[in-house]
Amino acid sequence: MPLITDRTWFLAAVIVYGIALVYSVFLWRRGFRRDDRIHYLILVVAYGLHLLAMMKRGYSLQRCPTSNLYEATVFIGWAMMSACLGLALVQRFRFLPVFANPVMVGLGVFAMMPGLDTPGGALSYTGVMVSLHAAFTLLAYGAFGLGAAAGVMYLSQERDLKMHRSRILFSLLPPITRLEKVVTWLTLAGLSLLSVGLVVGFAGITPPPGVRYTQDFKVWWSCVVWAVYAVLLGLHWRFAVRGRRFAWSVVGSFAFVLLTYWGSNLASPLHQP
Amino acid sequence: MSILVVGISHRTAPVELRERFALPPPRIPEALSALRQQELAQEAVLVCTCNRTELYVQSQTPAPEAFAALLKFFHQFTGQAEVVQEAFYTLSEPHSLEHLFKVAAGLDSMVLGETEILGQLKKAYELALQGQFTGPRLNKAFQRAFNTAKYLRTHTNIQRGSISVASVGVELAEKIFDTLRGRVVMVLGAGDTSEKAARALLSRGATSVLVSNRSYERAVALAQELGGRAVRFDDWSAEFAAVDIVISSTAAPHYILDRAKLAPLMALRENQPLLLIDLAVPRDIEPEVNFLENVYLYNIDDLQEIAADYLKQRQEEVGRCEAIIRERVRELLNVPAAAAAPQTPRPAEA
Repeated sequence: MPLITDRTWFLAAVIVYGIALVYSVFLWRRGFRRDDRIHYLILVVAYGLHLLAMMKRGYSLQRCPTSNLYEATVFIGWAMMSACLGLALVQRFRFLPVFANPVMVGLGVFAMMPGLDTPGGALSYTGVMVSLHAAFTLLAYGAFGLGAAAGVMYLSQERDLKMHRSRILFSLLPPITRLEKVVTWLTLAGLSLLSVGLVVGFAGITPPPGVRYTQDFKVWWSCVVWAVYAVLLGLHWRFAVRGRRFAWSVVGSFAFVLLTYWGSNLASPLHQP
Repeated sequence: MSILVVGISHRTAPVELRERFALPPPRIPEALSALRQQELAQEAVLVCTCNRTELYVQSQTPAPEAFAALLKFFHQFTGQAEVVQEAFYTLSEPHSLEHLFKVAAGLDSMVLGETEILGQLKKAYELALQGQFTGPRLNKAFQRAFNTAKYLRTHTNIQRGSISVASVGVELAEKIFDTLRGRVVMVLGAGDTSEKAARALLSRGATSVLVSNRSYERAVALAQELGGRAVRFDDWSAEFAAVDIVISSTAAPHYILDRAKLAPLMALRENQPLLLIDLAVPRDIEPEVNFLENVYLYNIDDLQEIAADYLKQRQEEVGRCEAIIRERVRELLNVPAAAAAPQTPRPAEA
């Protein structure tokens, strides 16, 4: 067994994400007045380690590493940080990683918990369609996570505006209507990815003999998540649910996903064989 | 050979005195020509704004003699019989350069950190440059001053945040709306401050203004000035669905907009964000409306408090800016850091 495994690299990434989190507290306290290139650079280092860990695992398995809860969580975090760092190239969104950072640390610590990295998990399901299904659904959760981070950004800005805090004009955060658009588009992106992931799962993967999708808890859970986000977008566009309510709904929905994701896997014979 | 400054500003003289030494722009090249003809300076830039008249010169004459000659020139050229030497400050290097850098950065302005002075300084320099009144030393000094002002604007908080009520209103609008382009502004009551705020919003891209006033004629007049449309005072709420920003400053003795009235209007406008700026005393808008979702209400005290806060924060940045300026001036003069270290900033020598 090699001295430095992919898990060691991921642990290093989580530690660097933690360092970035400490730095992000300073940015919060300073009211987001200065460009946070240092935070961005720390996150890039963490992201590099994260990617290395994923690639090592992927090469060792010769497939996309999404076969157990550890790998799925690492993948969601990777998807979230990829989009987050990409968006932060636009100066107005340079603070988005500050809001995504706590989620990333939480995901990292969760992934490192013992018992999640079960060897050979879900190996009875292999093939392109399985990889596609897993990749699309996990990317969807990454997009939902990023939407939630933008939602927290919105709530922070909105609160300062409501409370007449003078720091609002010094802060480099984007205007709230732009943040609302970002939250909406990320939620839509997540919903689209989840839709594709679910369709690929239903149409492209044949369940083992004697098992039906309708009997699997995770399948129902995924449909509920899909419905929650679809209703959210419907309420936003058709019934003018905007601003704080919409942001809270997006943040709350992602909290629900985070808190129930593990349980839904444990209760699913198909996803936790 | 050194750069010298002789000037009068809002710090040393009241407006009655400053206006006596103010020169209209067409007379500035004439003054610079006269300076050169009288061999008082090899290079010169004359800065004349409402708050200051300053002469930056490159002179080979020893500073005390040059100052006396320049003061005499100032009085003669502006036709002043009475000598008012005490209102003038005279600075030699390195303080003259530090002063120039401070002026460019707005550190010597009445409104601390204001940006207008940089434009005025650039114009004065361009005028001198076009007339070939500048040379290598002043060119370098002014270019470095502009560069430093830009650096300070980007890397410190000296020019951030607004310190006038109208511009605080505009900045708040920019924190709410993605863009002000296409936003509809409604002005209730045709007061001076609301007019200024509306103009500021228009200058940042707002495209449409509705003006409503008890006197319809006044509303029409202001609407024409602002390029907008007048609305009868009894009908303003009918237009509300399309409005994004309301600036209110009527003389009404009671609230003209309250929570009960606004809640159904918000539903009509599909809960799009609404910024309400209440500049009236007594207030026009019930404070309770701030509890409505997507409604952001600021009254005159809120705006003034924010403006004062910014001014305080700008003042806290002065020391940092001065340290940067001293460093830049030291670089410009090629003085080693160790030699420059013991220097302390001195106020303008009167």
